[in-house]
Amino acid sequence: MNEQNDKEIQELLKRSIAPIVDTELRRDLWPEMLKKLSHQPVRVPWFDWALVAILSGLLIVFPGVIPALLYHL
Amino acid sequence: MKQHTYLRAYMAGIVVPTIFLLVVMTSYCVLRYVYNFPVPVERIIVFPMAVVPNLWGLWNMLFVALRSRWHLSIGLHGALLPILLGPFGMVMLGILNVSVPDLVAHALPIAAPIALIAYYLAWKYVVAFLNQVVEVA
Repeated sequence: MNEQNDKEIQELLKRSIAPIVDTELRRDLWPEMLKKLSHQPVRVPWFDWALVAILSGLLIVFPGVIPALLYHL
Repeated sequence: MKQHTYLRAYMAGIVVPTIFLLVVMTSYCVLRYVYNFPVPVERIIVFPMAVVPNLWGLWNMLFVALRSRWHLSIGLHGALLPILLGPFGMVMLGILNVSVPDLVAHALPIAAPIALIAYYLAWKYVVAFLNQVVEVA
């Protein structure tokens, strides 16, 4: 009885779940995986934050530099 | 993507000053034509429009060419550029007979360290990112 039940369930499942036809990947996912693995979030060291602070301070104290900087950038 | 490495390096290098030029030009035009601020845009624009972006592109090409031999970080490499650009820009102003306003002239001695810091940060974070995007570094 149990075996028959199992077979019936198996049949029902086979009928209800459509068979997968196209099992091949459409594109290679490995390069994207490598890119993701090699991608590292940008970490700004404290030294660079200090430089940003110094730069901002100097530009506030010496605003005359701004046109010269714009001219050269 | 292994072909045309130097062309890609050049293109990555010119992005920052080219985009920045739009902002600067817009500000200058508003100052000049809306507020009648006496800035001879047409005479000074040749340097930031033609010389600076090309030098950035060439400087980035140089970085790509020398990186295997020198092992200099891109930030420090970029910080060396104002040493070339600064005097060149001043010479251009002299040739074009443009007088520097007093406010700017007084601040010029401090301009060198400011330019070094600004260039160091721009190259370390922006140009390095662009080099990664075009896969030259």
